[in-house]
Amino acid sequence: MKETIKVTVNGRTYVEDVEPRLLLSHFLRETVGLTGTHVGCVIGECGACTVILNGKLVKSCLLFAVQADGKEILTVEGLAANGTLHPIQKAFVEGYGLQCGYCTPGMILAAYYLLGKNPDPTEEDIRKGLAGNLCMCTGYMQIVEAVKEAAKQLKKA
Amino acid sequence: MAETKYIGKTIPSKEGARHATGRGLYTDDFTLPGMLHAVILRSPHAHARILKVDPQAAREPPGVFTVVTPEEIEKKTHPFKPGRYAAGLKKAIPEYAGAIGKVRYVGEPVAALAARTRGAAEDALELISVEYEPLPAVVDTAEAMRPTAPLLFEELGSNLAWKGSLHYGDVAAAFNQADKVVREHLKIHRYSSTPLEPFACIASFDAASKKLTVWVNAQVPEVIYDALREALGLEDVRVIIPDIGGGFGQKIHLIRKYVVLISLLAIESGRPVKWTEDRSEHMMAAGHSCAQEFDVEAAVKNDGTVLGLKFKEIDDVGGSISTLTIHFTNKLNNLSNTYRTKNIFLEGCSVVTNKCPVIPNRGIGKPGMCFIWERMMDRIAQELDLSPIEVRSINLVQPEEMPYTTPSGNIYDSGDYPALLKRALEKIGYEKLKAEQRREREQGRLLGIGVVIGVEPGGRNAARDMAIFPEMKESPGSGGVNGATIKIEKNGTVTLFLGSPNCGQSHETTTAQVAADILGVDPEHISTSTPFDSDLAPWGVAAANSGNNFHLYDIGAVHGAASRLREKILTLAAHVLNAKSEELAINAGVVQATGSPLKKISFAELGKIAYGNQALMPKGFEAGLQATFYYTFPHGEPNLVPGPEGLVRAQFTFSAGAHVAVVEVDKETGKVHVLRYLIVGDNGAVINPQVVNGQIYGSAAHGISVALGEGFVYNSDGQLLTLTLTDYGKSSTMETPRIEVEHRPSPSPFTTLGQKAAGEGAAIPSPAAIASAVEDALRPLGVRVRELPLSPEAVWKLMQEAVR
Repeated sequence: MKETIKVTVNGRTYVEDVEPRLLLSHFLRETVGLTGTHVGCVIGECGACTVILNGKLVKSCLLFAVQADGKEILTVEGLAANGTLHPIQKAFVEGYGLQCGYCTPGMILAAYYLLGKNPDPTEEDIRKGLAGNLCMCTGYMQIVEAVKEAAKQLKKA
Repeated sequence: MAETKYIGKTIPSKEGARHATGRGLYTDDFTLPGMLHAVILRSPHAHARILKVDPQAAREPPGVFTVVTPEEIEKKTHPFKPGRYAAGLKKAIPEYAGAIGKVRYVGEPVAALAARTRGAAEDALELISVEYEPLPAVVDTAEAMRPTAPLLFEELGSNLAWKGSLHYGDVAAAFNQADKVVREHLKIHRYSSTPLEPFACIASFDAASKKLTVWVNAQVPEVIYDALREALGLEDVRVIIPDIGGGFGQKIHLIRKYVVLISLLAIESGRPVKWTEDRSEHMMAAGHSCAQEFDVEAAVKNDGTVLGLKFKEIDDVGGSISTLTIHFTNKLNNLSNTYRTKNIFLEGCSVVTNKCPVIPNRGIGKPGMCFIWERMMDRIAQELDLSPIEVRSINLVQPEEMPYTTPSGNIYDSGDYPALLKRALEKIGYEKLKAEQRREREQGRLLGIGVVIGVEPGGRNAARDMAIFPEMKESPGSGGVNGATIKIEKNGTVTLFLGSPNCGQSHETTTAQVAADILGVDPEHISTSTPFDSDLAPWGVAAANSGNNFHLYDIGAVHGAASRLREKILTLAAHVLNAKSEELAINAGVVQATGSPLKKISFAELGKIAYGNQALMPKGFEAGLQATFYYTFPHGEPNLVPGPEGLVRAQFTFSAGAHVAVVEVDKETGKVHVLRYLIVGDNGAVINPQVVNGQIYGSAAHGISVALGEGFVYNSDGQLLTLTLTDYGKSSTMETPRIEVEHRPSPSPFTTLGQKAAGEGAAIPSPAAIASAVEDALRPLGVRVRELPLSPEAVWKLMQEAVR
């Protein structure tokens, strides 16, 4: 028994028949084919699957795909336009705000959401904004610095 | 290479853009035509006999292709050969990819099945019926060693699966000459690095050609390659390692079981099969760092000089014999830490228990060895009423003694340990902090300062274990080998094939910097071939995200291959330009004769000749522009293999770091707040500062999180209580402190560019630094810190006991 859903991902609309138990994270990865949304725990504690759903920061493993019916999603693949990195992506690359890359898409979207709400965050604000996204590699130092740098660049632009 | 344009500088990350745009490619991202999805049935018991496994009902649903049971695993696969991790095993105990006859830890794989979708596979898994006879669980090493304890392996006759000892110098004389003997009992708990990406594997078997191809996020291709050949009796095995979402040792060893099980499902079903572990499976069965217990005695003079050190170690190795001795044997890697003590005795006991097997984890036994030394330095200072800095200083190996040979045969290549310590104290403002601490103590604040120092060994020597197990039947090899291939394509592009996979240490960036300087091209124009593919890569035993091997073996190989290719480029260019190769310089991919502006030729033009124009090649020139180099450490002697004295170099380079932790303990809750964390490090000549900093920040953050509470907890039935990252206590941005790093490099005189290791480093001294700082904070209460973790609960208990 499948449900038909209509979901817009990074500006493109998909109409798909899905099992009701299909998680949004797996819908994005397997049905839509965007594997930048990673899965690290499936219970909402690691943040690797973070996406933006109708303007809200969500963990896509905590939602069923059917819950996204009629909604708009931004994934990491939707940030760079024609190979030009978004200032947040650029800051992560230049400032080594990533190592293995597994937490990176979720981390970048959490930073994107944070800077949208608060363009001039303190270090404390940044750390709070990213607290739902775990990284096992970096000790967060260069990630926090990259977000500071991205904030600076976004303000200039 | 007279001057460097890229080595030593931070350049934009070469891996960064694909990861930041979601275009990294991890094992779970791949899909093959007809691919099935596998799930694993695991033991719910810590210890039980498997009486019967009935897969019939699970085979019936239409989507299910294959189910494998213990019976089939035993019939269709061979046990793994006991490798170097189990060198001390007295009796051969066959270990298969799945449990046979008995389960020995919660989560041990029992059966596996493959179906059209993951959902169908999970539904069917519930239909496999297993009848167990539960046995009493053994979860405590002391209990496990009692003569009446239930046995995990009846064949061994005891749960004490290995016991051995080593000594260096004259330990008895050291203790006779001592003014005082300082004793302590220390403990480190079970933890892991919990990589964010769990295990994942795809196996595809071509029955006609008998070729098995696996895609797997394994750190060491050799482990997988050997395991598949041994367990499945196959000759033709191809191991492809895509991007890995973090390793830290976790993805070296136990992952082989799953690769064998998934390959068996692929062989049986005739379809490619994918398996992705879930988080709770990872927590219960992917491997833990070993809980270690130490009885330590130090023979000291009144001035703090340590004449001798003795320790007895008990390792809780969990429910497998396959990694029996790794946490003990790795003590040899930093047995002396930064100190001159000549007389050392160590005894190890490996005890099997009904817990997850232990595996390598960032430093393996080395954080334990540093913990022993640094806890003892503080204890000696207390007992002799000296400053902890004074006691450390009097025992440090001095810079003029470098290269320094340790009692066990390690050769410390370079370093100035007193200067690292001095600089760390200066930079933190030690005297001022001490004064502040005195003032604040009067106000009732519990502030503590911990100062420790440690070495970080790099570049593994495979022969180490011969010193510990002289009876070893199969030679473990010696030294290490890894290769690299570099080529210029016919359009001038430079392509690099590394001998190792990459799990986040920026291998592509760092190796491109080295190759760029040698070849005279921009690193942006160097393309690194990913994923790692055992059919293509020039790999050897050191092809590993393990043993801190990269800086030595991979950099050495890339340096060698690029130098060889440079010679080839110059030979061809000299011929074409009618110049002498000594007059030629390369810049931005163009070979130019000095002093003759018109005599120049680009890599693209050379490529066209080398791959297609025989008439323009010099006589005897091997066509193509490609070079491969396999690196071995040219300064491997002396002590490459143990001589009659048993001296051996466990590793070949020695980084070092002084760590200072400043903490405040919350009196009400026992929570430890890290106010400052500083590292003054010597990682040799640094190739890319931001890459090295990232390794230091990450490893320090992990060590600090370990010390402050992350860890695995079992109940008395052997049930794991920490199945999620939250229960386990992983630190987020909120708990992880800022880490300050300063580099004081002493280039290694032995390595290609003076480089040393940086991957495990700060995870080695950081648990000791936190322990030292917390003890210092609780000094007004007279608390002694002997155990990790220092979770709020543990610290609160220490405070309560002290008050009583």
